[in-house]
Amino acid sequence: MKSLALENLSKTYFDPYRGIQHTAIKDVSLKVNEGDFVAVVGPSGCGKSTILNMIAGFVPITGGRILVDGREVKGPGPDRGVVFQSHALFPWKTVTENVTFGPKMRGVGKAERAKIAEEYLALAGLSHAADKYPAELSGGMQQRVGVVRALANNPDVLLMDEPFASVDAQTRMTLQEELTRIWEERRPTVVFITHDVTEAVFLANRVVVLSKGHVLSEVDIPLERPRSWDKLNEDDQFKALSNKVLQLVRSA
Amino acid sequence: MIALYSIWGYYARWTARWPALAAFVPFIPLIAIWAFLAWLEIFPRVFLPGPIDVVEKAWELLYKGILTDYLADSLARLAVGAAAGMAIAIPLGVFVGLNKKAHDFSWPILLFFQAIGDIAWLPILLVWFGFGLTTMTFVIVYTVLFPVVLNTVLGMRSVKPDLRRAAQSLGASPARILFEVTLPGALPNIITGLRNGLGYGWRALIAAEIIVGTSGIGFLMFDARRAGSVEEIVVGMIVLGVLWYIVDSWLLAPIERATGQRWGLVTAR
Amino acid sequence: MSADGVTFSPVPYARTWRALKFMAPLLLLVVLWQVVVTAFDVNPRIFPDVPTVLRAGWSTIEDGSLAAHVGASLWRVSVGTVLAILTAVPLGIAMGVSRGVSDFLTPLFRFFSVLAGIAWIPIATLWFGYGFGAITFVIFNAVFFVVAYNTLLGVSTIPMPLRHAAAALGASRWQTLTEILLPGALPNIVTGIRTGMGFAWRGLIAAEMIATNVGLGYMLFLARDFYRTEVIVFAMIVIGVIWLVLDRFLLAPLERATVERWGLVQQS
Repeated sequence: MKSLALENLSKTYFDPYRGIQHTAIKDVSLKVNEGDFVAVVGPSGCGKSTILNMIAGFVPITGGRILVDGREVKGPGPDRGVVFQSHALFPWKTVTENVTFGPKMRGVGKAERAKIAEEYLALAGLSHAADKYPAELSGGMQQRVGVVRALANNPDVLLMDEPFASVDAQTRMTLQEELTRIWEERRPTVVFITHDVTEAVFLANRVVVLSKGHVLSEVDIPLERPRSWDKLNEDDQFKALSNKVLQLVRSA
Repeated sequence: MIALYSIWGYYARWTARWPALAAFVPFIPLIAIWAFLAWLEIFPRVFLPGPIDVVEKAWELLYKGILTDYLADSLARLAVGAAAGMAIAIPLGVFVGLNKKAHDFSWPILLFFQAIGDIAWLPILLVWFGFGLTTMTFVIVYTVLFPVVLNTVLGMRSVKPDLRRAAQSLGASPARILFEVTLPGALPNIITGLRNGLGYGWRALIAAEIIVGTSGIGFLMFDARRAGSVEEIVVGMIVLGVLWYIVDSWLLAPIERATGQRWGLVTAR
Repeated sequence: MSADGVTFSPVPYARTWRALKFMAPLLLLVVLWQVVVTAFDVNPRIFPDVPTVLRAGWSTIEDGSLAAHVGASLWRVSVGTVLAILTAVPLGIAMGVSRGVSDFLTPLFRFFSVLAGIAWIPIATLWFGYGFGAITFVIFNAVFFVVAYNTLLGVSTIPMPLRHAAAALGASRWQTLTEILLPGALPNIVTGIRTGMGFAWRGLIAAEMIATNVGLGYMLFLARDFYRTEVIVFAMIVIGVIWLVLDRFLLAPLERATVERWGLVQQS
């Protein structure tokens, strides 16, 4: 896992309906250290997904630079793994085939891939679903496959775009706890986009609040790990931090 | 009333065990009604033969080998035409689907030529190639081409962008993305296109044989018309219908289901 | 990165722009046609050049033969289609209402849908002789079975809760029919009409080639008999244009209006 740096990032695009240039992201700078878990929150339309798409390389940058481990990056690549809100699992491939897709693209051999699959499926508690197709899994399981698929490819940075937004509340809590557990074991560098403030505070050790395309504020989350909902629901520090971030978001 | 329901119950259980039965049984009352009408001789026998006459005629044709010969001819032409058609259409479809410029340019052209229709080409084909296999094959290839190309393009465009992005972020090259993501994603549509194409191809073949042919089921029907032999016409029609029904329901539809539904991409029709 | 610029109002010119974009490749093709034919000095019997075709076409317009042929063809298609729709839709609804009946009859209708149109030409000419009757029958047939099958399908896939809701809100059978069943099945019906007309149009051309002495199919056939390739090409273009216009400007918008507007079915 490597570090990520955004330097004066900006994004403008031409709006054909109004015939004007629209600035979505204005001069955003952010430093994410190795092994950091950074959550990005903000009101709808503040540009958080745009930033993620730029880091991932799906959307071209119109200003500034993105550096992964000191290297400038453009365009998508396996160094930046992505977990999508819509899970984006390949419907015609089994869970195992999905998880080993990245290694397969890199030319990793069959035996090696089988080991990778075994390891990562076990990590996510999905060993029993190895040969199933995505359509046969529940929403929560699909998201988990999405997460380990990205991890199994050993990216430098893991980007997560509101991955738990489309599952039900209870599954979401389970998935959040699973994610922290996996994170504590593997310590990937993570950028996590969400609109759910409590989710951000639960998962991250730093929360970045975005407003109308620029960084409003950064809040450190020094809560101790491992974290679980049972403990934190009653924790005063957690509530205080959540409130603080919420106020920032609402004022944005 | 109760008797009716108990018969219904029997029927439901039998078809649940043997679904193929549900495909055959509904024809029984139809045949019965037909036999009844023919027996009543509302229409002269020359116009409406009874089922028994038709079966007798079918047997005769089978015995003489005419039916099997003609059927083989028709099927061979269809197979050749369809294979050639698909071999051209799928790569063409992929090319058009990938390349926006190619798509914008060829789309109106494809639609226009599809609108002309296969049959309208027969006269000019006769001028160019005469009454032969080339003409017939061309017609079938032409007919099969459009549904396959259009559906291939549609299929490729309907692959969710997130899937392509996922593949990109997992390090796949554009070629790998095409083969691992876009084409499998388009497969259900391609198969639908194939299925439609074969359906149209079958019809086009019959029309071509009626108008141009020297053998084949279409020709059988047309020739029988000239000879005034209604039974033969009906035999031809039934053979056509049954054959297509079998191929479509027991070969093509299951393939479509196997890919589409298993992957959760298509809902049952 | 200026923040001002010309304001677009896309809508007024969008349609003409789209039409032009659609025509452009076809016009390019015509140019290509002319270039290839002159460059390779192609025998006009094999493939005539553009002016010859246009001249031949113009003469058919002048002497009224084109109007006669197009008129006959369109008249047959209209009569056959309208009759077919008027009979097939009520029948389809009547059969589709009961799940058991529709399941039972579906194989029958699928069978006949497959057979629809062209395969009936020989027997149609036997029953009706040559001319209007046989051809219109073929068209009727092509549209009838496909529309009946699709109507059947459409009605039987209306979810029971909808029908229950209507009953619980006090709808009479007639009201359920007009307010629930018909609108609910409409997307399928329209798709059926579009498909059926496609078969009908093809069947029309085929039937007119052998069973009559007026109509677009006949025009093609006659031209071939006299080796007047330029008339053949002209007639082919006319056929293509008519169907394109019919399908794209009448049927497709109709399908879009019902199907997609109500978000019920995805197009095939």
